[in-house]
Amino acid sequence: MMQEVLRLQNLQKSFGSVRALKNASLTLKEGEVVALLGDNGAGKSTLIKAISGVFPIDRGDIYVRGEKVSIRSTREAMDLGIETIHQDTSLAPDLSIARNLFLGREPVNLKWLGVFAPLDLAKLRDAASALLKRVGISKKLDADALVSTLSGGERQSIAISRAMQFAAKVIILDEPTNNLGVEETHGVLRFVKEMRAAGHSVLLITHNIHHVFEVADRIVVMRRGEIVAEQTVADTDLLTVESLITGADLSALMKRAQ
Amino acid sequence: MQKSMVQQVMVQQVGTVTAEDGAGHAKAKSSLMRSPQFSSFVILVVLLVVFAVADGNFLSPLNISNMMAFLPELGIIALGMTLLLTAGEFDLSVGAVFALAPVVVMLLVQNAGVDIGVALLAGLLLCIAIGAINGVIVTKIGISSFLVTLSMLLIVRGAALYITQGFPLKSWDQPGFFVTLLAGSFNIGAFRFYTSLWWFIGLSLLAVYVLRYAKLGNWISAIGSNRNAAVARGVPADAVKIWLFIATSVLAGLAGMISAFRISAASPVAGTGYELEVIAMVVVGGTALTGGRGTILGTIVGALMLRAIRNGIVLVGVPGLAYNIFVGVIILAMLILHALLQKNAARS
Repeated sequence: MMQEVLRLQNLQKSFGSVRALKNASLTLKEGEVVALLGDNGAGKSTLIKAISGVFPIDRGDIYVRGEKVSIRSTREAMDLGIETIHQDTSLAPDLSIARNLFLGREPVNLKWLGVFAPLDLAKLRDAASALLKRVGISKKLDADALVSTLSGGERQSIAISRAMQFAAKVIILDEPTNNLGVEETHGVLRFVKEMRAAGHSVLLITHNIHHVFEVADRIVVMRRGEIVAEQTVADTDLLTVESLITGADLSALMKRAQ
Repeated sequence: MQKSMVQQVMVQQVGTVTAEDGAGHAKAKSSLMRSPQFSSFVILVVLLVVFAVADGNFLSPLNISNMMAFLPELGIIALGMTLLLTAGEFDLSVGAVFALAPVVVMLLVQNAGVDIGVALLAGLLLCIAIGAINGVIVTKIGISSFLVTLSMLLIVRGAALYITQGFPLKSWDQPGFFVTLLAGSFNIGAFRFYTSLWWFIGLSLLAVYVLRYAKLGNWISAIGSNRNAAVARGVPADAVKIWLFIATSVLAGLAGMISAFRISAASPVAGTGYELEVIAMVVVGGTALTGGRGTILGTIVGALMLRAIRNGIVLVGVPGLAYNIFVGVIILAMLILHALLQKNAARS
């Protein structure tokens, strides 16, 4: 039995009169890839923002490795081992790869100087190069190169390797393959498999159901702020999942059409 | 299996870069020449040469001393503005703060009999308050810094005019610690320099350090480059911005005090239009108006350039009323040049 890493119990969140999350419960185990599916406005973003500390939840409990926690900021989420990689918002394009990799966790000298402490540039650079090498991104990718000079796939790889670097227990990928080419997409999916192999738990948000069947162990479907279905990938098929997302019984429709 | 798809993709994509690696030195050199602060520097040198050839007095000790007396006053504000712009915000109220701070200090001294040191402290607190209000409204209520600081410009300028009834005040002219500290002067050979130059040099070094080498600088650039990314990494973006607004206001007030002490007068209309001139200095130096990319060296070059232009075109005999036309044209030409260089760099 794999150990439980993250458990969400009856999460609720409203924005004014809109109930974005009604009663969401979800469990994530060690080394498991769970795909979170749902149409636009189903509450996926709200759910992951609540876990990653973007805003507080109204009601409900979050447990990390069985311990009840409260996540009030992105910083606290990161300290609990929850790393979130948003679609295009994870990197600062005007900063170098090295500076991005350690953004918010910069190695510094003279720590007592606080925010005025000088960056340990040598360490920053070496650690970044070692990381790039370790995660198998081309050795020729210079740690000092600006992120704005990289392709979408390279950026996504950098963001993912940053999450792995900090030994995150839970990595949340928000639409990681959006705007990527075919080869780059496969590269990212390979990364997801590697993360699982390394023992990280992955929560994958995507619109592409084919990707789900390629990498996920379990599927969780949300609709109108609620989790409406939970199935292992082995026990389901594409059509069923699509029906769950839209709420319409597609397989029945297909049969009727035939 | 180890050599995966990603690696192959990466190798293909960076192939062009690796081909150049043998000429790494040349690459570094060309990237320096392509950097915005370098092109600004070249243009500064060209301008200086043109002015020097056109008028023999341009490089005279008296004229250089004059330029160096004015330079720090706008330059100090430009340092704060550079950091603020790099974080993606700007401040239009600096010119008004430049006037209000010395006016308040002098009113306290002359009308309320407050000790000059205490009055200066009050001026400092006033600047901190103005910057904090700007910063809090921009970050917490989410109104663009253009609108917030434009309103603040009117409020602060209006306050300066109202409390003085529109009349300039005689400034503190008794020699003493504070006057020496802010507006003392000294001679080196035939050159006469003010202590404000030391302030400018010291603050410039500090700003270079903060932006390029300190943890804070990494945060500032990241916030301006992609605020959401910075926040997602736990960078306190709002707090950083609020402190930068405060720093910019304080520097504007400091510059105002230096100016008031130097000319022994505190005028409620001093610094009118400085906000735009300072922003011009910063962007001419190569800092991006849209945030993320800031250069203190570029700003210093920009400050020198605008000072040299203002001084030089008067010397070469451009009629006084026409001279803003020239300043505008030269700034525009600079910006076009930067844009073209950037386009070229992106293409290659």
